[in-house]
Amino acid sequence: MKYFKMTRFLLILIIITLTLSLSACGTGAPDKGRDLQKVTFVLDWTPNTNHTGIYAAKAQGFFEEQGLDVEIIQPSEGTSDSIVASGSAQFGISYQESVTFARAEGIPLVSLAAVIQHNTSGFASLKDKNILSPKDFEGKIYGGWGSPIEEATIKYLMEQAGADFSKVKIATTGDADFFQASASGQIDFGWIFEGWDGIAAKQKGMELNYIDLGKEATVFDYYTPVIITNETILAQNEELVKAFMAAAKKGYEFAIENPEEAAEILIKAVPEIDGELVKESQKFLSQQYQAEAEYWGYQKEEVWQDYTNWMAENGFIKEKIDVSKAYTNKFVEK
Amino acid sequence: MRKSGSTGQKNNKGYIKFDWLPVSIIFLLVVFWQVFGDIGNMPSYILPTPVMVIEALYQNRVLLLSHTLVTTGEALIGFGLAVLLGIASGILMGYYQRVRRALYPLFVITQTIPIIVLTPLFAIWFGFGLLPKVLIVILVCFFPIAVTFTQGLIEADENMDALLQVMGASRWQAFFIARIPQALPDLFSGLKIAATYSIMGAVISEWVGAQKGLGIYMTRAMTSFKTSVLFADVLMIVLLSLGLYKLIEMFERHWQLK
Repeated sequence: MKYFKMTRFLLILIIITLTLSLSACGTGAPDKGRDLQKVTFVLDWTPNTNHTGIYAAKAQGFFEEQGLDVEIIQPSEGTSDSIVASGSAQFGISYQESVTFARAEGIPLVSLAAVIQHNTSGFASLKDKNILSPKDFEGKIYGGWGSPIEEATIKYLMEQAGADFSKVKIATTGDADFFQASASGQIDFGWIFEGWDGIAAKQKGMELNYIDLGKEATVFDYYTPVIITNETILAQNEELVKAFMAAAKKGYEFAIENPEEAAEILIKAVPEIDGELVKESQKFLSQQYQAEAEYWGYQKEEVWQDYTNWMAENGFIKEKIDVSKAYTNKFVEK
Repeated sequence: MRKSGSTGQKNNKGYIKFDWLPVSIIFLLVVFWQVFGDIGNMPSYILPTPVMVIEALYQNRVLLLSHTLVTTGEALIGFGLAVLLGIASGILMGYYQRVRRALYPLFVITQTIPIIVLTPLFAIWFGFGLLPKVLIVILVCFFPIAVTFTQGLIEADENMDALLQVMGASRWQAFFIARIPQALPDLFSGLKIAATYSIMGAVISEWVGAQKGLGIYMTRAMTSFKTSVLFADVLMIVLLSLGLYKLIEMFERHWQLK
């Protein structure tokens, strides 16, 4: 009967496709050994040069040395906090601001290392807009992702500069590309990472005016991004944290010493991102990871305390969090 | 048998039909897009030309294929399970009015939950393997199948039922022999809708958290400003969705010709 022939044909087609895709679905790297402990590391969003140390630790076998088999996951933007808090991933990437927010809500995240010593993000705009300082924000449109922190940051900077915050328009552009939104006139300025979007602009031949957040106000020279875990893992499995961070630190140190090689590692692990951008970005960022600090990952109490104070003063958190519980240098110090 | 709508061709021979009208319109749009890109001053990172997109597709074909296989696997498994779930619930809802009253509103509610809220929840509940992805595809696909099939079953000719029961069939036998075949055209509509959505469902499901897939590739191309690659990825999604749709249509036409 024709009906069965058709069903059989379809069935075979489906089985072939499933076999092909399931084999492609399987975990990326083959199991290197039976004794390796499986660990999930969740990024903040798409892989970029903020994460090079982790990819380097994987490629150079540092994780394996510590007995760990680390899977690096790309989640939806902004979900890494809840994923690490719940334990679905043991470690992840986050930012000092969101760790502070989370802890204020009772979510037990702990920052284990500052990936980059100083804040390498800031407000950027196309050169012809002539936005050279926060004073020039007056009469302009800001495009962001809709967090009240953005408004408060802009407001603070403007007031420090004696400008009128009510004269700036805040728009939510979400995931919209900074370049697309700027070029189309949708926004005048946005908040970017100097080491990524800033470099991309240079490569596109776009001239930008960049206002370095950390240099404008010391309170904004906070840690972004950071590596996080949750309190339960710290309490119950300190050995795992020790092992993971030892390898991660080695990975970032490798990236600091060998920017070109590290860039190649990232490109190989994540061929979907722009190789040229990675190479240029890595040159810049490798010098920023540790900067002038004594060791990579070092976090100062004042940085945590100052920003917490600022967040409380501006009504973002009801009470100041206990910063001594929010971070630790235990696993990165010499 | 009722004939369901098809692509509008009068020729009923063969399983694969080629309709010149939509293809010509698409072709003209693409030509217009290319010309606009060539003569306008739109930067390529905002709107690449079709030629650039095809180039990007070709240059990255190996990488694109590996991501495509992952997404297709997620979509097919989810779609397959959604078909089973949709047909089963359709039969139950078609046969038992009480089940229909109980389940229908619940099913509608499942469609109103924004998936963007579900993604972190699914990551927490189900981790990052195949399961959360398949669940999201099922969520997206089962509804049109269940709804259209149920509708087809309810609207079947009651006189046929009566006739069969007069001839000695039980209510269930009448249902199986008469109602289900009459509902098949509606079921196929549901299958076509679900198939079209299955690929996009799989793409969205990867935003739960993954390492590979067209959704992952898409966001990575986006954040490194590789707009041509982004478009190539989207083109792949479109082609896959169309392909699945056509596959169901082929299957439907085969059944109609039987």
